[in-house]
This record gives sequence, structure tokens and C-alpha cells, in this order.
Amino acid sequence: MSEEQAYTVVGGRGTMTVFEIYIKTTPERLWEAITSEEMRARYSFGVGTASEWTQGSEYKSGVPGVVDIASGENLEVDPPRRLVQSFNALWSDQVRSEGTTRVTWEIVPVGTSCQLRVTHDQMNDDANSELFGGWPMILSGLKTLLETGEDLDTPGSLRYSGAAGA
Amino acid sequence: MDEVFKALADPTRRELLDRLFERDGQSLSALEAELPMSRFGVMKHLRVLEEAGLVTTRKRGREKLHFLNPVPIRLIHDRWVGKYAQPWASALSELKRDIESEDER
Repeated sequence: MSEEQAYTVVGGRGTMTVFEIYIKTTPERLWEAITSEEMRARYSFGVGTASEWTQGSEYKSGVPGVVDIASGENLEVDPPRRLVQSFNALWSDQVRSEGTTRVTWEIVPVGTSCQLRVTHDQMNDDANSELFGGWPMILSGLKTLLETGEDLDTPGSLRYSGAAGA
Repeated sequence: MDEVFKALADPTRRELLDRLFERDGQSLSALEAELPMSRFGVMKHLRVLEEAGLVTTRKRGREKLHFLNPVPIRLIHDRWVGKYAQPWASALSELKRDIESEDER
């Protein structure tokens, strides 16, 4: 499927947002960081994502017993290059009312680095910016983790870390 | 990182980013119509923003649409805020949140 066919852009803030970042790593390590529940938690506000990562399988993001963040289906699973997921935000009544949107992860090797592109689309025209507002922090934390092995500890980054044990 | 600072150092380019924040995914023609500047001028500024990673593009049919990519700005924020200001920043952002949520009521 060509890029033009894959994305129908209607216009207006909220229908589609694109986030790009370069990370010095291999596609395989980047894919692992996206699909490993433990690694994911280290750069996603402490929230892990559990799934079998097969086409058509479900996924759940959250801290069991503390907070549900998102759920959906893995629509396309093509390791280590492309992951398309339906995305139902669950963390508040407001974001829940936004319904099902779509998140596409694309990994492109560039020299000794990778370009990671996260496209969040199929959103309502006036979508709540909370829906996609967390991506820059998540991607920044992912870069820090893969390049330094350390957790990003800026305010809010680890909001739910350790919450399950508390 | 130098490219990001250079790109942000120009008021027209910041204006372009503001326009994309308000309405993401705009064509050159749409952006040009809003600014008192030639098509060539807007194109030049967009290219600087693209090279800095602050603007990313997608095609729709024959049109090239421009999207705001705030990630490089986040990286700059995390680099300095994370190192020096974390306790202050989190206390302040909590205070800000408390005040704002009181305002909403």
C-alpha cells in the first residue's frame, strides 16, 4: 500500500499528527523496545503494554489495578519495520469519548541510526489534544533509553513507575 | 540541535510553526495565503524547518502537507530540564495544575 493510500488527511488539528525522531540503534532493538512490556514501561510514564504482537491480536496498556491507559488491536505487524494499531484511550472519560483512533509506527534505517515515525490519525476533527500530547515525551524517553540505557526522569516521565508495587 | 535553534531563531519560522499547531497538515499554498510573503520565501523557511526536523511532510494526492513535529523541542527541554530543574519544575507544574484546576471550577 502506498503512503498516499494509507493516509487520508482531512485537515484540521486533531485528524492526524506525525511525530518523528532519530535514534542511534538498530531496527531490531527499536522493535524490541516498542514491543517489550518491561522496556515500554521505562519510557511511557511507567506504563507497560502487553500483547502477543501477532496480526489481529489485542494489546493492553496500563498498570494493573492502578490505571488503564489504552487498548486495541494490532492491525499490521511487520517486524522490525511497521506496526499499525487501533487505539482506544482509556485514562479518562473525556479521552474515552473520542472513540477508536489509529497509531502507526514506522522504522526506517538511516546510516547507523533509525528514523522512527509515529502517526496518530483517524481522530475526530476537534480531538482532545491529550490523546496525542504524550508522544513527544514518550519518544524522547525511548531515545534516551536506547542510546544511554538510562531512564528519562524529567517531570511526569515516570508518573506511574512503581505504582503497581505501592 | 544547532539546526533546531537556528530554525527557531526566526520569527517567520516560529509563525509557521504556530500556524501548524493551530491547524496541522497544511499545504504550501494554504500557508502562503496566511503570510505576507512570496511563495518562494515561505518555501525557503519551510525547508529550514524540515531540515531541523521541526516540520515533517506527507503527500496527499499531488499535494504535500506539512505537519508540526514537536519532538526536537521536547529533546531540548528534556536535556536541560531533566538535568538541572527537575524538583523545581515538577513542583511548579503541580502548582500550575492545581491553580488551573481551581480556575476551571
